[in-house]
Amino acid sequence: MTDVAFYDFVRGPLLRFALFVFFLGIAYRFFRVLFLGLPPDYAKPKGNPYLMAVKKIVIKPTMGWTFNEIFSRRAINFIGGFLFHLGFIGLTFFVPAHALLWKEITGIPFPVLPNIVSDILAYAALGSLIALTMHRALNPVLKLLTGKDEYFANFLIAMILFTGLLATRWAGGGSYIWLLSLHMFLADLLILYIPFSRLSHFVYYFLSVGFMGWNAGKRGVSF
Amino acid sequence: METLYDIYRRRGYSRRDFLKSALLLSTALGLSSSMLTDVVRALETKPKPVVIWLEFQDCAGCTESFIRSTSLLPADVLLDYVSLEYHEILMAPSGFYAEESKREAMEKHRGKYVLIVEGSVSPDRGGAYCTVAGRSNLELLKEAAEGAGLIIAVGSCASWGGIPHAYPNPTGAIPVSEALRGRQVVNIPGCPPIGDVMVSVIAGYVLTGKSPELDSMGRPKTFYGQTVHDRCYRRPFYNAGRFASSFDDEGAKKGYCLYRLGCKGPVTRNACATIRWNGGISFPIQSGHPCFGCSEPDFWDRGMIYTPLSVVSGGFGLKEALAGVAVGTAVGVSVAYMNKKLRGGK
Repeated sequence: MTDVAFYDFVRGPLLRFALFVFFLGIAYRFFRVLFLGLPPDYAKPKGNPYLMAVKKIVIKPTMGWTFNEIFSRRAINFIGGFLFHLGFIGLTFFVPAHALLWKEITGIPFPVLPNIVSDILAYAALGSLIALTMHRALNPVLKLLTGKDEYFANFLIAMILFTGLLATRWAGGGSYIWLLSLHMFLADLLILYIPFSRLSHFVYYFLSVGFMGWNAGKRGVSF
Repeated sequence: METLYDIYRRRGYSRRDFLKSALLLSTALGLSSSMLTDVVRALETKPKPVVIWLEFQDCAGCTESFIRSTSLLPADVLLDYVSLEYHEILMAPSGFYAEESKREAMEKHRGKYVLIVEGSVSPDRGGAYCTVAGRSNLELLKEAAEGAGLIIAVGSCASWGGIPHAYPNPTGAIPVSEALRGRQVVNIPGCPPIGDVMVSVIAGYVLTGKSPELDSMGRPKTFYGQTVHDRCYRRPFYNAGRFASSFDDEGAKKGYCLYRLGCKGPVTRNACATIRWNGGISFPIQSGHPCFGCSEPDFWDRGMIYTPLSVVSGGFGLKEALAGVAVGTAVGVSVAYMNKKLRGGK
């Protein structure tokens, strides 16, 4: 198989299949969880559950942002997690090549980042991903919570970031197309893998955090 | 026995002009500057190359490009230097005399001549789709290849099958390398290929007596080792995230990158961005049109000329995404409902 044929395969049939599985899988899992249902609760709410649900979703990400919390106890989690998510989201949507793909899918034009900003985001995301993975492997509590799923997902994302960086910084030569194809092939695998893994937390996060806020509102307690 | 130097003098060019050409030639071939004296000596002493040029399923565009190769050798020198013993478009004789001169040339220069093939080969139905002097193209190719010192497939048709090979390929067109399995074929793809690249490969064979270093797909590494994107003068705009969104917007006028308009430069190997065309004047991207990857295999069947490279080929829009969501929702809700039923409604 020639490199261009492989390139056409990963950006054609494989990407289409991966995107279809992604949208189908995410919707399936979301509704499966949504319809798990709760036992009926006849007690009168003591607060405003819906307002608290929204409040929890909106405010929660910044609630732990006190100096002591960030720097004294969970620095790697906070800083690494923030940098990684910032980099990952920035790169996924706003690198020119990716932005054009999202425009094709959604019909909405996305703004694009210059290379220098993408590079900084990629280095930040890759560095923090390595730090977070090591933290997972070494911290005794996190170690117990971590399975093969996390290591595989982290490895896959790290490889996508690394090959993407290499492709951007490529100084010329015949293997460029293989490298670009490898980057896209790994991204296809990631898109396919998301619905089957904890990476789908980007959907559940809002569901679970919203539920916690809703529950707190119902009981009339603060969170 | 006339050499390149003799032709220069006969045509009235100075030794300085000859040395300039020798320098350009060695640079184009990627030879080190220390080899310049060897190149000059070889061009002063070695006889001009004998070329037999066969045309099959082609448009003669490669020939047009070849005779416009003026960066390395002036046009009048080029056509004197390359001894075209047989070329259906450029030679004076025709009919029986043309075929006779080809036969004579093949016998006289057996094992030494350069065979250039333009166009794809069509072996289907005994080669009935393309015949010359009543003989099939495959038969003519095999006969000429037997005594050739170097076989060069010029253009995307000869290298990959090209447009005749495009779906549905009614003539069963195949590339030269497939028709001559077991023989080394130098592929110089492009639609058409750059004339200077063709001249360099022929002259390189005269200088070294062997084919240039080739990549895994039979292309000379010197000219096809890098992508158009690697050496594109618009690359800084790509890096800065500045793109033209249409052919006549402000970005296009400012010469921004053409990636968004479907440029295939990042996945196309050719020397367009460095050697350029018509004596180094321009190349497609310079004239404001995105590269459409003519030197890569099956470029015609890949379509997508004005679609950005990163977009899903074959398309994937909101409709497809919503279809995925709808199927996922239906299955998720159904499974949740069935589970509830199984649990007795709890």
